[in-house]
Amino acid sequence: MDVIYTLIPGMTFLGLVFFAIMIWAVKQGQYEDMEGNANRILQDDDEDMMP
Amino acid sequence: MVNQPGTLGTTGCFHCGLPVASGAHHHADLDGAQRSFCCPGCQSVCTAIFGAGLQGYYQRTPEGMLLAPPPEPPGDIEIYDFDEVQQEFVTCSGDLRDIHLLVEGIHCPACVWLIERGLQREPGVQSANVNLAAKRIHLRWDSKRNKLSSLIRALARIGYAAVPYDPENAEGVIKKANRSMLFRLFFAGFAMMNLIWISIALYSGANKGEFREFFHWMGFALATPTLLYAGYPFYRGAIGGLRAWRLTMDLPIAIGLSVTYAYSTYITVTANKIGEVYFDTVTNLIFVILIGRYLEGLFRHQALSATRRLMELQSRVATVIQDGKEQIVPTRGVKPGDRVLIKPGFKVPVDGIVLEGHSAIDESMLSGESAPVSKYAGAKVSAGTVNTNGALLVEVSSTLQNTTLSKIIRLVEEAQASKAPIQRTADTIVPWFVLVTLICATLTFFIWNTKSFELALMAATSVLIITCPCALGMATPMSIAVASGLGARYGILIKNGLVLETLSRVNHFVFDKTGTLTEGKMSVAHVCTTPLAARKDILRIAAAVERYSEHSAARAIIAEAEVHRLNFRDVTVREFHSVAGLGVQAEVNGEPVLLGSAEWLIRSRITLDEGLLAQARELEAQAMSCVHCALGNAHVAVFALADKLRDDARQLVNELRAAGIAMTLLSGDRKAVADAIALQLGGMEVIAEVLPQDKDRVIQRLQQGGKVVVMVGDGINDAPALVRADVGIALGSGTDVSLESADIVLMHNGLDKVRLATLLSRRTLRTIKQNIGLSFMYNAIMVPLAMMARINPLAAAITMPISSLVVIGNAARIRNLFKNEKP
Repeated sequence: MDVIYTLIPGMTFLGLVFFAIMIWAVKQGQYEDMEGNANRILQDDDEDMMP
Repeated sequence: MVNQPGTLGTTGCFHCGLPVASGAHHHADLDGAQRSFCCPGCQSVCTAIFGAGLQGYYQRTPEGMLLAPPPEPPGDIEIYDFDEVQQEFVTCSGDLRDIHLLVEGIHCPACVWLIERGLQREPGVQSANVNLAAKRIHLRWDSKRNKLSSLIRALARIGYAAVPYDPENAEGVIKKANRSMLFRLFFAGFAMMNLIWISIALYSGANKGEFREFFHWMGFALATPTLLYAGYPFYRGAIGGLRAWRLTMDLPIAIGLSVTYAYSTYITVTANKIGEVYFDTVTNLIFVILIGRYLEGLFRHQALSATRRLMELQSRVATVIQDGKEQIVPTRGVKPGDRVLIKPGFKVPVDGIVLEGHSAIDESMLSGESAPVSKYAGAKVSAGTVNTNGALLVEVSSTLQNTTLSKIIRLVEEAQASKAPIQRTADTIVPWFVLVTLICATLTFFIWNTKSFELALMAATSVLIITCPCALGMATPMSIAVASGLGARYGILIKNGLVLETLSRVNHFVFDKTGTLTEGKMSVAHVCTTPLAARKDILRIAAAVERYSEHSAARAIIAEAEVHRLNFRDVTVREFHSVAGLGVQAEVNGEPVLLGSAEWLIRSRITLDEGLLAQARELEAQAMSCVHCALGNAHVAVFALADKLRDDARQLVNELRAAGIAMTLLSGDRKAVADAIALQLGGMEVIAEVLPQDKDRVIQRLQQGGKVVVMVGDGINDAPALVRADVGIALGSGTDVSLESADIVLMHNGLDKVRLATLLSRRTLRTIKQNIGLSFMYNAIMVPLAMMARINPLAAAITMPISSLVVIGNAARIRNLFKNEKP
């Protein structure tokens, strides 16, 4: 059972890393526009790039 | 797209899909097909889109999506080219400039495509990014190669009205505070979830074995940052409260958190073999109370923005005439006595008196009246209003702080400052509650201290923890959050949630007349003619003449002719001229036509028809203004104009009267008109001929008489009254400023929603009371048990969330109110 001495702190640390990533993402503005980019990807504006 | 409207044969406008009025002549030849449009706006926008080769826009528009006709392009955009003006909005790096534009007219993903494509074709544009959710563009361009005004104009050509905008300023401190609160909430949630696992392990037996100390230290590692970071607002609040000699809700929370944390840390550090740690309680408490705080923060009133919007109405520059030359100067440089030229389409920068020229001025932002007002030499004009069609030379009488607009701004500010802070039910009890809790805990400690110090500390701590401030702290915000959310879905936008409580105690309603109880548009109610005359011919000729006039009565007559589908635009009108306040004169088919007051006809030596005069007198008694018409020197008709009552006004007034609520009609209009409207609604107190500045004084007088007053209005002149009233309700069609000043905004102009809002507020208040009762009941049971040292940690951990859940569940029951309502 000694494994929990490393597993629990490890998982908690991982959780903290995810939390930090989330705060970074919010501050970056990743959640600013939830609609625009979702639709932008569907628009065919690559006609001139096609061979 | 299979069915594109607007091809010939169908009736929809090619651009926006609105029906095209028959007889309208807005066509364009695009890609070899003839397209028809509803208005010149749509026509020019669509032509510009095709001209730029961006017709792909129409294929990208989602099926069934109705585009709106393009908004009016913004006026005086040249001023944004001045560096001093740009400074407020732009971040520079060399010649490259960054700006955020707020855009009106974005409705679908295709607009994103069109704007980004359209802008990238303009010279000097580095990048253009549209934020669809916030309706904003982030633009980076080279100021050497292009001017900002020409970029804004390019947007206007393809149908979008854009204005520079400073996101820092506009979103402000409140939003930032809310975001940091959200981060704290996330962190507390994260720590709480992890600690629950550790607690489960401890309660299920690990507190006796070899892992006891390890779990204690893990709890310590998680709870310490949570307390310092997520719990910081409570400590700040408690200390701030103590400094101001007030017992706030934060104080027992802070003490409870500190004591619980200190006790658990003591057990952990000393490796004590019998005591329990309560790190989970610490994080739980922080998490649950933060949720309540966050919800509360969402509904905090943004008091500043109303004044800011008002300031934006003022024009920044003015064209001053000096020694016969035009000179553009900043408005603050204009002095009384200067002569200012106001070109058509521009905002009036100052208050002044017209010297030369005549024009129609749109004063809707000041008066709420939708029709432009004619101005001739000698008339007064006010800053912030818009000059619509003719150039005016104006002598400046007052500027900046002394204009009518500024006076209204000051009234709004004063009303905001003097509005008593709303005493929340919970707030009044909290200090007592806190005091009792502290006394109970101290008593418990000293009583048990005679037996053992350990036991005394535990019992006192559990009193502090178990006195659950969560349920009490969430009772009000949770109910208001549910009510606001439901209200929004049914067209009632509650901006200041706390007024829901006030609204339930209201006993006096004040209504603005024009635009609130009435539609705010003049319309022809009756056309009386002499027996010999042909009604339709008279209306056709009258409309033909009136289309050259700017008067609101003229618009009403034209609208009436359009309703009857009369073809008046082909009638040739010669020698048109008008005299302000009297009427108009012209020649049609070689015959003179006169339209105006009875006085106007008498001046031209026309004998008035007795029968028509009698009818006119009768109509005027019903508060309709009458326009007399003479054809070929014979008095032939009277047009009676009335402002229509809103369909739902009568129903609302009847319901309020049945509920025993007093009502007042407040109007700047003539007494006779206001009286007649009140009579149509079954009678109510009328205060008419009130100046805009005096409206809030009327409210104040009512309040001093002990009334709790609701003001319902829509114009800018209602703004101070909306703020002054205990609850301000604005209609969604109102001006920006009135919307900002109101506590509640009714969308889709539904006046009948006033009743629903009242019901909602009663229901919410009842729920708040029930919730406070529930949380007190919980305390009444648990506190004595804790004082007897009979609470074990497991029981505390289970009952605390349950008390919060009960409160949330009870709040959700507000939904039942809307069972029979349509969204």
